[in-house]
Amino acid sequence: MDPKKNKNNLIGKSIPRIDAPAKVTGKALYTGDIVLPGMLHGKILRSTVAHAKILNIDISAALALPGVKDVITAKDTPCVKFGNWRLFPQTQDELPLALDKVRFIGDEIAAVAAISAEIAEEALTLIKVDYEIIPAVFNVDDSLASSAPMIHDGNPDNTSNISLDRKIDVGDIEAAFKDAYYVREDSFTVHSHSHAYMEPCASLAEVDSEGRVTLYTSTQTPYIVQCLLASTMEIPENYVRVIKPSVGGGFGGKMELRAWDFCSAFMAKRTGRPVRIVLTREDELAVGRRRHGMKIKSKVAFNKDGTIIAKDFEAYLDGGAYNSMGPTATFLCGNFGAMIYRYPVYRYRGYHVYTNLPPSGAMRGFGAPQALYVSETQMNMAAVDLNIDPIELRLKNAMVTGDKIEGVTTISSAGLVESITKVAEMTNFLEKKKNLPKNKGIGIGCYSFISGGVFNWFNTQYNFSSCEVRVYDDGTAHLLTMSADIGQGSDTVLRQILAADLGLPVEKIRLTAGDTAMTPKCDLGTWGSRVTLMNGNAILDASKKIKEQLSKMASLKFDLNVIHEVSFSDERVYAKANPKRGITFGEAVKMWVKANRGEELTARGYYTPRDKGLTTPAYSFGAQVAEVDVDPETGVITVERITTAHDCGTVINPLGVEGQLEGAIQMGIGYTLCEQFAMRDGKTLNTTFLDYKIPAAEDMPEIVSAAIDTYEPEGPFGAKEAGEGLVIPTAPAISDAVFQATGYRCKELPITPEKILRATGKI
Amino acid sequence: MSIRNFTYLEPKTLKEALSMHAEHGTKSNILAGGTDLLIKLRHHSIQPDFIIGLNSIPKIDYIKLQDGELAIGTMAKLSAIVENTEIINHFPALAHAASVTATVQIRNMGTLIGNICNASPSADNATPLLVYDAKVVILNNVENREINLDKFFTGPGKTVLEQGEIVKEFLIPIPSKLTGSSYQKVSTRSKVDIAGVCVSALISLDKDGKITKARIALGAVAPTPIRVYKAEEILIGKIPGIEIFSEAAKIAKEESSPISDMRSSADYRKAMVEVLTLRALNESLESAKKK
Amino acid sequence: MISVSEKFYFYYFYHVFKHYFSIQQIGIMSKVKVTLKVNGDLYEAAVNQSKTLVEVLREDLQLVGTKIGCQTGDCGACTILLNGKSVCSCLTLAIEAQNKEITTIEGIAKSGEELHIIQEAFVNEGAIQCGYCTPGMVMSAKHLLDKNTTPTELEIRQALSGNLCRCTGYARIVKAVQVASEKINQSVTEK
Repeated sequence: MDPKKNKNNLIGKSIPRIDAPAKVTGKALYTGDIVLPGMLHGKILRSTVAHAKILNIDISAALALPGVKDVITAKDTPCVKFGNWRLFPQTQDELPLALDKVRFIGDEIAAVAAISAEIAEEALTLIKVDYEIIPAVFNVDDSLASSAPMIHDGNPDNTSNISLDRKIDVGDIEAAFKDAYYVREDSFTVHSHSHAYMEPCASLAEVDSEGRVTLYTSTQTPYIVQCLLASTMEIPENYVRVIKPSVGGGFGGKMELRAWDFCSAFMAKRTGRPVRIVLTREDELAVGRRRHGMKIKSKVAFNKDGTIIAKDFEAYLDGGAYNSMGPTATFLCGNFGAMIYRYPVYRYRGYHVYTNLPPSGAMRGFGAPQALYVSETQMNMAAVDLNIDPIELRLKNAMVTGDKIEGVTTISSAGLVESITKVAEMTNFLEKKKNLPKNKGIGIGCYSFISGGVFNWFNTQYNFSSCEVRVYDDGTAHLLTMSADIGQGSDTVLRQILAADLGLPVEKIRLTAGDTAMTPKCDLGTWGSRVTLMNGNAILDASKKIKEQLSKMASLKFDLNVIHEVSFSDERVYAKANPKRGITFGEAVKMWVKANRGEELTARGYYTPRDKGLTTPAYSFGAQVAEVDVDPETGVITVERITTAHDCGTVINPLGVEGQLEGAIQMGIGYTLCEQFAMRDGKTLNTTFLDYKIPAAEDMPEIVSAAIDTYEPEGPFGAKEAGEGLVIPTAPAISDAVFQATGYRCKELPITPEKILRATGKI
Repeated sequence: MSIRNFTYLEPKTLKEALSMHAEHGTKSNILAGGTDLLIKLRHHSIQPDFIIGLNSIPKIDYIKLQDGELAIGTMAKLSAIVENTEIINHFPALAHAASVTATVQIRNMGTLIGNICNASPSADNATPLLVYDAKVVILNNVENREINLDKFFTGPGKTVLEQGEIVKEFLIPIPSKLTGSSYQKVSTRSKVDIAGVCVSALISLDKDGKITKARIALGAVAPTPIRVYKAEEILIGKIPGIEIFSEAAKIAKEESSPISDMRSSADYRKAMVEVLTLRALNESLESAKKK
Repeated sequence: MISVSEKFYFYYFYHVFKHYFSIQQIGIMSKVKVTLKVNGDLYEAAVNQSKTLVEVLREDLQLVGTKIGCQTGDCGACTILLNGKSVCSCLTLAIEAQNKEITTIEGIAKSGEELHIIQEAFVNEGAIQCGYCTPGMVMSAKHLLDKNTTPTELEIRQALSGNLCRCTGYARIVKAVQVASEKINQSVTEK
């Protein structure tokens, strides 16, 4: 083990999250819990039709209702289009409120602020919208038909409902397939899926007399919300302060500016009173962002010995009515189509297609779960056809440290081989698979994921992660960062990283996070598993600067030879070779302050991945085995055990990593077996947790896991991604296990009892 | 959405509740456990001006044996059904169904009678009550009436209850000695799920081992929970066994008329009727033999 | 309290004259005083009769530890104890909860500095991530352990199945309840 890993016994230590006591006593405040004096309640009117021109909106009756303080439609606003992909202005296709057209059932049309939520709701019923209905399309095929209506027709560059595409070409694809011994060619449909975070979105805005906005919002990206709120309100970024209170989960669903953020701020400005908007679960399930459903065609060529020689991968993403984070999903689907095994020749065609459905957005693993469901299922199918066991077939092709992904990057650490070997060993995979009892199955799926993105789609001018560290003569430190803990535990892990590096106990690090006015610019927020690696590196950068300063104090005090290394641990600063020659951390700070005539000792730290290609600075890997039992008469699937071996580099907080893993399995099982949207003519029918079923405690299997020991040179203390990618392998693993149990190979997720009975001829 | 405001009325006796219900007619709704009613109120699928809460009426949550019958009062909670030893001993299928109805919290709030009066085609507890020949005692301002549960449901969400009527209690006869019963449910998405299909069965044997009484009831496969009389009839007088059970299960399947909806397809539901009926009959037989 | 006939009068008045009065005024008129005993303290609030207990706890009593996740009784975030039994406060009218003992997440720790055994276990076992389900989850755990101090793993899972969590996969929550159960039994034996 690298000695750096165990720094000050804090790296690799399970520490309960720092906000746990507040959360367990009900004291932690979420946006919907906050009340400001004079606060108004906002509600949003949504389109009831899937595709229509807005002919007229009559708000007079709503405005006349006593208690109503404001009603806004797009015409009252600056009508600035926005979107997360600022690097490509043509992708910015959304307005805070629809102006001339609605594009899905749920598109926001108007907003009301009133003295009570009841009055605001009443006012919504008094707004009359005249529509001219346009034909609507609810799937990719219909949307690409020549007769299809144009969903975004204002832009002359748009010639179809494909909002963007991505092409990757590595090597000569035609030649590679000509020489293949075996070609595996399949079409798959992977479905949409809800984040189903427990806290429905909420925003609360107040605007001061100078027009400066303070927005409390349930977000995972305070910086993105700050920038986009400023641009849509046409005010300087500096006039917008975004505060992220406790956030009840995000999983990618809270990383954009949303209509309620804009409307609460805009109405707060107009009324001079704070405005709060809280969504309902029905809102969330009916019109909230969701995972991209995709249609994927994949063709893989193998040699006789099972070596992959080429892959031809084509994906159509159902984007819904707006781009949202669809461009990223389109890119990552292509990247992950070529991941985890060596594909010397690769072609990808990805198309992001508009439909009149609620927009798909970022969701845990965006693009990768779909791509890897297909890839991993095909690997399992190829293993059968080539008569090679699925472990051997994977090991033969698995990426290893130093492998180059053509046109992308070189992998700086990869524990895939070790993960596959380990998980096979832990489950006695091959032996079990040979001797499966009736109706039982065992299957495997593997994954990789990014540790934050490199491609600067948000087009920020600032470093991707920044922080400030202040140290005090009482022996404590204050860490200020814009990063957003939405439940994943970054507030704890970031404190842990700083504490380990400065040699202080975690309790002595005070943290200010997720407040754009109080923390350095910027941190891009919580998405793409970026926080530990990127913010961790920024913290180490700042910490290094602090330590340089304090080392000088120890050096002076003890007249240290210039070759002496100064160490920081146990709240002391001392000569490594002679620990007795040292002072306390607080004394060192005091000396520095005196020496600098009363200045405060602070340092800024920054990190932006450079020379790391355009995808990510580091990849995580892992392998998972699912064991299932299928009732042959009812088709009901019981997942009995999930075993995972995963490579997330150095584990900083095992308690946090394991929690992420177990949570990912819940989401993965839901995705595979029981969660899907029931849609009819663009309308989401299952808008309660009674009908949008996420797994409950009773539905969860036994969970076994092992972390593979690797060291990522680019990560803080060797750490990289953990938790997001773990949502990927569950679907292919369960799917393979169901195949072993029943003979049904699922190419159309989710796997339902009914599909099993149809496939086995029972119905 | 917010619940539209109403006036909450708090009768102290069932009689008072009846007269309030009669006075306000269709503008009023009865609130027992509230687990279904509050959802309807929130979704504005009903918008009453008056809610008549039975919460403050004393001693109507009884579960007691009287004259060879079990009487279950209108406010008896599902959690009480699950834990009641008389029910566990004499009506195990009902105890089982109640134990898998919704969640702990809902069972602590919801009443058995409310679950039945809500008349959902998939109500977990309707099929066991049907196989146990439960009678519904209905109060009104004119003359109380008693009706067998198999005549109680008239459609999805609809019952024979007329305006101003309240269900006082269920009366369930204690089954004869050599009787076994079973509740079977298939939840396709989660263990904590409303029934995709549910089936209850009951079999009584004579001392020669012949079937003297048979009941089969299906949930979620017709507009209301139903009994399948034809399937019951062919079992009478027979020595129980896999062949006759399979035949009964096939008839049950034919008698069912499920719809396809977002929870399941009609084909799947029909197939499940056969599977679950057979399982329920087998389990009933096993349990009858043990007695 | 306003008598039934008075309420009826208001109702009648409202329907005859509703076009002349704003909803707001009617809203005030139809409010009633409810007295709630929460965590041992008596609170009074003037509320619409249609208000649910969770709305009154959060909006009128500022006890915002109880969360709203769905309003349909499916997620359990609003779980509280009513006379010791776990219920969804989103499906309970505030007016019905009068004369009953209401216990919320704010009422179970011994002091501001000392957590309840269950809360302590949730913290130490990593049972909390985003924390939004946590108050309801803790109340369900308390309901279970008050009745059954030695639950099996299956009993714990069943008892918590009315509380949805999207972050943890429940594993650590189940572990926390097991640890709390052991601690409760230890403290009983010690006494």
